[in-house]
Order: sequence, then C-alpha cells, then structure tokens
Amino acid sequence: MLVKTFTTPGNLELLLVKLIEEVKLTNKKLDSIITQNSPNQKQKTKKNHKNKSTSPLSPDVLSLLSLPAHLRKTVIALYKLEKATAEELSAETKRLRAVESASANQLTRMGYLKKKREGHKVYFYIEQKMEENK
Amino acid sequence: MTTKTLAFHSSRGGTGKTVIATNLATIWANKGLKIALLDLDFRAPSLAGAFSKAIKKQPKYWLNDFISGRCKIEQTLIDVSSTYRLKGKLYLGLANPSIEAIRSTMDKSRAWEVSAVKRLFSMRKTLFKEMNIDYIILDTSPGLQYSSINAVVSSDISIIVTTNDEVDLKGSENLIENLYLELDKKPVVLINKVLPETQLHTNKTEKELINKIENQLKSPIIAAILCYCDVLQAKRTSILAIEKPNHAFVKNLETIAKTLFLTNKLNFEE
Repeated sequence: MLVKTFTTPGNLELLLVKLIEEVKLTNKKLDSIITQNSPNQKQKTKKNHKNKSTSPLSPDVLSLLSLPAHLRKTVIALYKLEKATAEELSAETKRLRAVESASANQLTRMGYLKKKREGHKVYFYIEQKMEENK
Repeated sequence: MTTKTLAFHSSRGGTGKTVIATNLATIWANKGLKIALLDLDFRAPSLAGAFSKAIKKQPKYWLNDFISGRCKIEQTLIDVSSTYRLKGKLYLGLANPSIEAIRSTMDKSRAWEVSAVKRLFSMRKTLFKEMNIDYIILDTSPGLQYSSINAVVSSDISIIVTTNDEVDLKGSENLIENLYLELDKKPVVLINKVLPETQLHTNKTEKELINKIENQLKSPIIAAILCYCDVLQAKRTSILAIEKPNHAFVKNLETIAKTLFLTNKLNFEE
C-alpha cells in the first residue's frame, strides 16, 4: 500500500525534489568541511588560536580567585620574583619543578604570563603593560 | 630577628584596625625596633590624622605616588620617632586623602593593580634590605578592595580585626573562606570591642568566647580585647600607647606585640 502511494507519479516527483534538496545540503556541508581542512585555512585557525592564547590578560588579585588553586601559587610567586625559571618558581613555592613548569606553561597558554628564552633558560614573567599607570 | 610584614584587615569598617595598628607600631618602635607603618586604605586614609602632631606639612610624595611608580618608597616615608621620643624608629607612609586621589584610586585598570601588587613586593625588599626595617605594618581598607587584597597577598601574615557582633563575625567568616583560604593564607584573628556584658574578667569566660569564635572562624585567635569607652571617645589624633601607656587597652596590645614578636607561636608563612 505504502509502495503504491510513493510510486504514484505525483508523489514520485515530490520525492525527487526532496532528494535533490538533501543532496544540495550535503554538498554544502562537504564544501564547508573541505574548506576548514585545507592547509591555508588550518594555518589561519592556528594563527587565530595563537593570538587568542597570547592575548594579554592581567593576573590581578581578583582574577587570581577565579583561577584554579594550583595556578594561583605560581602567579603570587611571580609577583614577588618578577621573572623566574620553573626551577626558581619551585624554590619559591616549595613545589616540584615539573609542577611549576606545568603551571607556568598553562598560565602562558591562558594569556596570563609571557615566557622568553635567555640562553638555555626559559623565563616566565608578567607582562608590563602600557596602561599600568592608568 | 626575622623581618615580617603584617596586614591589618577586617570585613567591615569600624572594628579598630587603625587604632590597633597605630598603637602596636608605636609600642614596637618604643621597644627599640624599626617600624614602617603604611596606610593602604586609599579610599579612607586615616593615619595622617592619628599622627597629626608629628606631621606639620603635607608630604612631597604619598604612598599613591610610590604604587603608581612616580617615586621610591623611601621618598614617601616620614620619620615621626623624635616627636614621640621613641627609642627606636617609626616611619609613616601616608595615603593621599584628597578627593582627586581617592577618585583616581577607584578607576585604576586591572593592569595597574597587577603593577601595584608587584610594587608592594619590591617595597618589602627595599625596606628590609636597604633600610633594615624590622616590621612593616599595613593598615588596609575593609572588605574586598583591590588595595586590601594586594596587601593580604604581599604580607606574611594578616590579622583580621573583628568585634564579636554576629554580623561582623559572619563577615569575617566569609572573608576567611572566600579570600584567605582561596589564596592559601592563614590569618590570625583579633577580637576587639568585646562588649562589657561578655565580661572577660574570668579566664573561663575568656576561653569560652575565644573557643567559640575560633571554632566559627577556623582560625587562631590572638586575643580578645574589651570595649573601653574612653578608647572609643578618645580623639583620633591621640596615640594611647604614648599618652596613656598604663591603660588596659595598651597593656593588651603589649601582650599581643610580644606574642607576634615570638613568631613561631603564630606559624608565620615563610
């Protein structure tokens, strides 16, 4: 009965129109996926992500309260030390070097800290900003 | 002697922070120590009033200038030791009381606040290493203000001054739970203005009160001081430790000064 209904000339036409619409929609989605995965687009997305992660955020004392507890200690140590390696942070916080390294790198990715290489050493610091005197 | 930074803080105003900080600093300075007493209450500065006898003219630089990077900490300090004939040294750092300065404090950016807390840490180095200061006492603004949190973060120990009024105790409880514990800080509590009906005349009553508040605030209580009408009525310009050294309030503070001096008892954070 059902087959019969669909195979009537009127219904068949309707079914074809629907099928064409579905194919068009699928093509659109495929195009979008292809564009997103193209090398150029990947580079752009990466760049955007990089910009986002290094966007300057101020680790002020109130922001500290919204950070996970393990990250707060690292920021407070950096208030005191100004600039420090993971080793120096570890000496200040009395936590393992690896813990400090992970925390400082996480804070860097979040945009709260900056890091720079000086010879063999990597230093973490809170960026001085132009608007500090405002 | 190990050098230390103490911050006096409270959940709300009027608990007696400034009177206690002022008298404690004077007591220590009169014992021969070098003390720096700094007014970090940028919204309602009051130290200048307390020491008005020694401050004849407006300072060239205020603490606001130091925090903003416009001068060195040494340039803000006023030596008041000779006016009060103290055996040691008492330096004051004052907050600018002008409306313009107070308004300016209110619209500082977050980046400025980061710089401010860093300046407080660098100040400690200068005062301890270059000026050989024994204690830095920070008189902060009540509640959760940037300046008071900056002071708490940069101090070795914070003393929360509270009354035994329920609202005040609840405020202190919130402060400890939502600020101190979050920042991994262990404050010490000083109960001030204990109402006469509580009567701390017997050791038993005092212990009961201290135990009750210690359990509520989950922090060590350094002392409970009775409410003295003459202390409340005294002019803000008078320093009891100088004018009435035998007053029971001053005697209480002398005991506190001694306890704080014996740092091990309080488990100072290093």
